[in-house]
Amino acid sequence: MWMIFRKEWKELLRDRKTLFFMIALPMLLFPLIFGAIIFFTANAVKDAESKVLNYAIVGAEYSTQISQALADAPDKFKRIEIDANADYAVLIKDKTVDFILVIPAEFGTNVLDNGPQKIALYLNDAGLNMVYRRVNEIVSDLSDQVQQDSFARLGLSETQQQGLLEPVSLERKNVADERENWGEKIGGMLPYMIFILCLQGAMAPAADLGAGEKERGTLETLLISPMERYKLVMGKFLTIGFAGVTSALITVASLALWGLVLSQGLAIAKVAAFMAMIGWIDFVLIFLMLIPVVAIFAAVLLSLSIYARSFKEAQSYMGSLIIFVLLPVIIALTPGVKLEGHWVWVPLTNVALAMKELVKGTMDYFALIGIFTSTAVIAVALIAFCIHWFNKEKVLFR
Amino acid sequence: MIEIKHLAKKFAVENPKKLSEQERKDPRLQGRFFHSVKDVSFSCKQGEVLGLLGPNGAGKTTTLRILSTALKADAGQVMINGHNVLENPLIARKKIGFLSGTTGLYGRLTGRENIAYFGQLHGLTAGEIASRIDELANLLDMQSFLDRRAENFSTGMKQKVSIARAVIHQPELVVLDEPTTGLDIMATATVMEFIQRLKSQGTPVIFSTHHLDEVQELCDRVTVIDQGETRFDDTVEAFSALADGKLHQSFLSVLNQSQVKGVA
Repeated sequence: MWMIFRKEWKELLRDRKTLFFMIALPMLLFPLIFGAIIFFTANAVKDAESKVLNYAIVGAEYSTQISQALADAPDKFKRIEIDANADYAVLIKDKTVDFILVIPAEFGTNVLDNGPQKIALYLNDAGLNMVYRRVNEIVSDLSDQVQQDSFARLGLSETQQQGLLEPVSLERKNVADERENWGEKIGGMLPYMIFILCLQGAMAPAADLGAGEKERGTLETLLISPMERYKLVMGKFLTIGFAGVTSALITVASLALWGLVLSQGLAIAKVAAFMAMIGWIDFVLIFLMLIPVVAIFAAVLLSLSIYARSFKEAQSYMGSLIIFVLLPVIIALTPGVKLEGHWVWVPLTNVALAMKELVKGTMDYFALIGIFTSTAVIAVALIAFCIHWFNKEKVLFR
Repeated sequence: MIEIKHLAKKFAVENPKKLSEQERKDPRLQGRFFHSVKDVSFSCKQGEVLGLLGPNGAGKTTTLRILSTALKADAGQVMINGHNVLENPLIARKKIGFLSGTTGLYGRLTGRENIAYFGQLHGLTAGEIASRIDELANLLDMQSFLDRRAENFSTGMKQKVSIARAVIHQPELVVLDEPTTGLDIMATATVMEFIQRLKSQGTPVIFSTHHLDEVQELCDRVTVIDQGETRFDDTVEAFSALADGKLHQSFLSVLNQSQVKGVA
């Protein structure tokens, strides 16, 4: 069995395609994609914030504070004169102006007599433009000033002012500790990511070890070697499972490493503090939970691969498998689904929920035994099926 | 001594509707089953080379696959030096060296690694594997490419490595399925010499072929299979005598008789 395992790994490590999917892709491509997204998004936001916005103002005379505030920031806003009867939409779409402010004739700052005031902002809000936010900063300044003046006219104390601004409020008193808070947010995504990475890392070697043997014409020679069939299957099964776990570990490690590099130290303290909250025993338990899950993946992938006539056919079967893996994990992410009742017995969903609980630090360790055992039983059954499958002539010689 | 008696093997047809007109007319198709091998018997003694002949689809490959334990027979008996292959396939596999019709190698392993892997599967020690590979490399003229990756091998190189892989464990019986198909003259000569050498060492060899000149040069016995049944099983001399020394005519004459028998 270990002879098969060693030989398969030797071959896998010489395969550029497998190395790319198992090592290069998680180490370089994923971080590059995330890095590029962060880089381009940050640049787009920076551009949108620093761009000098062309604007027109209709009814400027009704609010000199606003027109003056815009005029006082020439590095941010540039006024364009337009006809009062012009089509605002056309002017904005042909980029003559970025926005048009329309101040009504009845606009006044005496809100105690006139009630709330409205100023219309015409803009093209599709895409990242920051127009609303930047204009609102100016309008908010005026609004705050009007509010303070009105309170002063009413002769209200600071306490009365606060009371009027927020007469009744709900104060959040969260009894959950920080670990539980973070765990709830991150813990749900963890199995989603790890499951998919394990599956993806195992797919390429699985296709090669089953359908690839058929396609190359090496399967028949292997089948007639004096090696018991179950050892043959176990050697291949271990190779696939190990590849899945390796790929997942490399990806998670590389994401963590590149995350630190890309964020240039930002939030390190928070991440480190959160990681420190999770005990090593929980990490070990998460890894242990992963073993039967990977065993399930490896057994199913190997069965599909050996059934397929060709590498291509195997890949198409395996592609469909992702849906069956995603579904139970998505169920685990659904609000209201907790590790209790019948969910404890739903394969993969129970492991995903258990991983979340382990990260949160709220795991019922007794339930863990049941989940691990039931998942392991399914894994063993699938391995047994895989061995049976490897003994069927109509599968091997399709 | 290898004895094959009344071997039979049928396969379930996955989708009978997909069969061609010719396949549907084949008398071996009975209901949902295709009787690939119906009744095949032959024997081969120590030091003999047996040529297995027959048209395409006659059942040669299925017979050889049963002999090599890749397939299980539905009926019949295969004995190798007193061991029942069908009852003890694991023991039989240690005694048989089989070269399948497809020259499949692990492309990312070198020729040496390919051969060594099967040596390990047969339980040989590292020392035994190394010396045996050196011996086979000399016999099959493989020294120049043995340490190169198999993915870039020519058909001839692949076939030589495949043969070496099949005999690394010094089997008691060697079974070769069309070993010279697709080979150039030089590679064919090397394979022929190798079979001759096995014969001189007393190892029985069974090989299927479409080349009657190979039969004439190497074989002691000839077995012709058609429609899944043995139609001829005797010495090369007896086969040759069917048409005054013209093996091609002998072969056609056996097939013609077979068809007459089939029609009757």
